[in-house]
Amino acid sequence: MSTRTLFIGMDGATFKILDDLTNTTDGKQPVMPFLSKIYAEGARSKLLSTPNPLTPPAWVSLMTGRSPGNHGIFDFIRAEERGDDVFFTLYDSRDNKSETIWSIASRQGKRVAALNFPFTAPPQKDLNGFMVPGFIPWRHLRRNTTPSDLYDRLKVLPEFNPKELAWDFEKEKQAVSDLSDKDRENWVRYHLPRERQWFRIAEYLLVEETPDLMAVMFDGVDKLQHQAWLFLDPSLQTGEVSEYHQRMRKLCMDYFRQLDGFIEKLISATGSDVQVFMASDHGFTATYEVVRINAYLHKKGYLNWKLMPDTEEAARREESMFANLDWKNTTAYCRTPSSNGITIRIARNSGETGINPEDYETFREQLIRDLEELRDPETEERIITRIFKREEIFPGPAMKDAPDLQLVLRDFGFVSIKNKEPIVEQREEVAGTHHPDGVFFAYGPGIRQGKIIDRRNIVDVGATLLYSLGLEVPSNFEGQVPESIFTEQYLAKNPVVIGAATTFRAKDEQAESMSEDEKNKLMAQLKMLGYME
Amino acid sequence: MVVFTKEAIKKTLVEIVEDLIQDWGIDLDDGVTEHTLLVNDLDFASVDIIQLCVAIEQHYDRKIGFQDLLMKDGSYASDLSIAQMVNFLVDKI
Repeated sequence: MSTRTLFIGMDGATFKILDDLTNTTDGKQPVMPFLSKIYAEGARSKLLSTPNPLTPPAWVSLMTGRSPGNHGIFDFIRAEERGDDVFFTLYDSRDNKSETIWSIASRQGKRVAALNFPFTAPPQKDLNGFMVPGFIPWRHLRRNTTPSDLYDRLKVLPEFNPKELAWDFEKEKQAVSDLSDKDRENWVRYHLPRERQWFRIAEYLLVEETPDLMAVMFDGVDKLQHQAWLFLDPSLQTGEVSEYHQRMRKLCMDYFRQLDGFIEKLISATGSDVQVFMASDHGFTATYEVVRINAYLHKKGYLNWKLMPDTEEAARREESMFANLDWKNTTAYCRTPSSNGITIRIARNSGETGINPEDYETFREQLIRDLEELRDPETEERIITRIFKREEIFPGPAMKDAPDLQLVLRDFGFVSIKNKEPIVEQREEVAGTHHPDGVFFAYGPGIRQGKIIDRRNIVDVGATLLYSLGLEVPSNFEGQVPESIFTEQYLAKNPVVIGAATTFRAKDEQAESMSEDEKNKLMAQLKMLGYME
Repeated sequence: MVVFTKEAIKKTLVEIVEDLIQDWGIDLDDGVTEHTLLVNDLDFASVDIIQLCVAIEQHYDRKIGFQDLLMKDGSYASDLSIAQMVNFLVDKI
């Protein structure tokens, strides 16, 4: 038995940076020599992310082959409208309404290992293999690691350190905060040992367990690029730079050099028969301005700020990553910076705050016009370049949980939800932000050499991994196998087969799959109980 | 239908909390009791409370919905005792 498929995720990786780090023109020694070899001997393409190119929806789309309107993960933070209040909590794996490739492969007898993927906690009970979830604090790793003895096995590995390995919520806020030079340097340093921890676990499981599918995600790429874009973007490395700039650039190069070594070692550990795929959940670019969207909605009369007492606790709440508003006097607002979306509050029951359901379309059209009018005072250019209605980009049973409007800013930045003016402000220094175009690589037996294909979609990756494992692609996958990356001989021997739809159904989806007769009976019961008009 | 007594819920909750904090390096003189406060005694952060809620829901294999416990009059609870959680669960399950 040997590992058949290796998947390496690189959160936020972009060709804008990787092309530079693999460049060998003029006899240059690249920072990432092994990736440079993959450029030459493998296939690659840009990879279109989800409509909001964000870690939660994008990784879950990659893992399920389905779009957010179907899987239902839209953000880190989930909100529940409760009349005069909004309750915020975190999304977890139970909110995902689509079956993951880990589950699909498991139930067909394949052993899988999935490390550091978000929204894999709490872990599924029937996993055939190993899972250490990402985005979980160290204190909760044991309970969310499967099988149940795996955590104790990892604990005895040399230099295993759960605090170094796991997600630290307090620290993670720094990714999108204004940091001092020293803190920014420490932020970059923090990710080097962290990635090493994930690498060691992946290497250990590869050698000891040889799962059919080995998948590991390195998320430091994203974290570095948010804070250190200035030192990474090749177009910003011109002219005289400070000693600090040089030091930061070197530190970033150390990170990518280390990552390159991990990729090489993982591939070496699997042997020559393995097919290797690598992808990012979204790309990256530069953001140069701050857009305070809730301040704009306040100015336009859509929302009111909550008056807070002058206490430490109130200050902490104000600084949190989710909106703090006078809900009784708010009709439209942005929940979180990462959502880049606007939610319209609808009074579903008498006495609730929000607009009347019958006014929704008129209200939303006016809101769109108001958002279009947010313009650069000097150039008249629109600050929000695209505004999508949710039905345009999130069709599916989970659409009701999506923001009513999805925004794309002119620099692809994330909005700010702070109560602060001015509404649009230049950043003192450019920062990194997400871009829709991520990366996709394939390498190994059966893969065409040096092939660059047209941009693929993130939902294609899950289909490709199942195909590589020799499994059928479920008919309800939106993703397709990019056949042009495989050699003709390989495809002839291994044709892509579309199989049965995934069997996983979340409770909500089960409700929607009821027959008309069952629905009518349920409606009649609800009416009798007084829940429906 | 399974009926959960208050005593049974308390025992279960204490076990879940003890399991959760086993690696945290917390030393309690009397162990976890109904008087134990999550934030003050066990150093819970908000994410730990969310994880505890997930663990409880997993144990009972159902979504319980802790909104009414965690949020009162538009503000999030600053601390919770084991007894408060038990009383909430008695009403919910």
